[in-house]
Amino acid sequence: MRPIRTLGRFGLFVGQFIKSSWGKRPPPGKSLEEAYRIGIKSLPILVIISAFIGTNLAIQGYAAFQPLGGQRLVGMFVALAGVRELAPVIAAAMIAAKAGTEMASQIAVMRIRAQIDALEVMAVDPVWYLVTPRFLGILLVLPALTILSIFSTLVAAYCVAVFQLGLNSFEFIEYVRTSITGMDFVYCMIKGWVFGLVICSVSCYCGFNAKSGPEGVGQATNAAVVTVAVSCVMLNYLMSEIFYG
Amino acid sequence: MSQPSAVVEFQNVRKAFGSTVVLDGIDLKIPPGETTAIMGPSGAGKSVILKHIVGLLQPDSGSVRVLGTDMASADQDALFAVRKRFGMLFQDAALFDSLTVAENIAFPLDHHAPHMSAAQKRERVAQTLEMVELPGFENRATSGLSGGQRKRIGLARAIVMEPEIVLFDEPNSGLDPVTSDAIDNLIVEMKAQLGITFIIISHDIVGTVRVADHIGMLYEGHLVEYAPTPQVLQSTHPVVKRFLQRNLDLSDPEQARLPRY
Repeated sequence: MRPIRTLGRFGLFVGQFIKSSWGKRPPPGKSLEEAYRIGIKSLPILVIISAFIGTNLAIQGYAAFQPLGGQRLVGMFVALAGVRELAPVIAAAMIAAKAGTEMASQIAVMRIRAQIDALEVMAVDPVWYLVTPRFLGILLVLPALTILSIFSTLVAAYCVAVFQLGLNSFEFIEYVRTSITGMDFVYCMIKGWVFGLVICSVSCYCGFNAKSGPEGVGQATNAAVVTVAVSCVMLNYLMSEIFYG
Repeated sequence: MSQPSAVVEFQNVRKAFGSTVVLDGIDLKIPPGETTAIMGPSGAGKSVILKHIVGLLQPDSGSVRVLGTDMASADQDALFAVRKRFGMLFQDAALFDSLTVAENIAFPLDHHAPHMSAAQKRERVAQTLEMVELPGFENRATSGLSGGQRKRIGLARAIVMEPEIVLFDEPNSGLDPVTSDAIDNLIVEMKAQLGITFIIISHDIVGTVRVADHIGMLYEGHLVEYAPTPQVLQSTHPVVKRFLQRNLDLSDPEQARLPRY
């Protein structure tokens, strides 16, 4: 019963968000501020993690194909696994870990310190004031961060494949180029937007429904990151089925 | 137009959380232009009354009317329209940590006074800071303020829109006696300056007696006494007597002093 009740409450929260934000201008300046904060804060960790995913994909691809004499396919392997699947999920996971937890904890602290009640009493819709700029900010940066994650993965994989494993540079690039199309980037952007929507709505919902006390903040943050991670992996499978199945 | 007889009116309000009845048939009329305090021990339902007044809670039965609006049946627009007419000082001030003192005070102006220029807002903030005796605090971060200063800034934010009603949730909680006295004096001075309705939720009898024109005593979900302050001090109701005796030494002239009676 409890998961169904939670799902119902989450649905009501999303409905409230749509009602609060529809046709209204977001709080001035705050969306760009959020986009900047989410983008800049998540950037270093995203680049590092994506790059090391790329290095490992190159090593694993080489280990799998080399005994069969197909080491030239490493570029294709990196492109298909990295670009189509891992880069969007890694970008979402990193943003969930950095920005999602921050959203959940900030809003949870505001909840337990009665600042959300204060917004209500000052006749300012808290969902509009707190969720809308975060939502727009994340939608603005997540596709860009996804593309950056793809780029980091490919560059790192290229370096390992060419400089460490001794593969042909031209062949690697050519296999990457022919394995992915412009549509793959479009799909990645769509995945990025969907993940952004999930990160923002789930993190804000957890923050808004935090229980009182410092423990409530911890629980809200934890619930946000776990729910986002599971939801994004499941949605990634669903979208891959739709796009490539 | 005639002055309404009550700015806040509770009619047979009942509220329960699960099996716990917090308010049980509350009838209450708060007159305009006066200071009314709702008192009672912890857990008596004082904050629940306050949350009904501001529309954060709805009664299970009965009605709550604030400035003529039924808070239970009002939609969000109507609720916001009423809320623009009152200010509230929260128990821990509920200041926004990411904003400076001036930004906190100007927050309601930024959202509800689009006609005001930035200079006018700055001037209003400075005037309000003067009223709460914290001039020059505009650029301070809220994190560096003491408990008493936070309350004053919270009060400044509550009055910056020149509301018709100001609500105080435990204005003296967590404050030392000297700061607590200073806040009480501020409330009395503001009342004299602004002439608006003040509603105070408190369990601090000493401070309440100093500032309130009327006192309501809440006990186990019932309003056991509601009368002008001097009458409440003479009450024979056992709960009120016990509460007063335990919290107020009436033989002490300092504590029994009623400056406006």
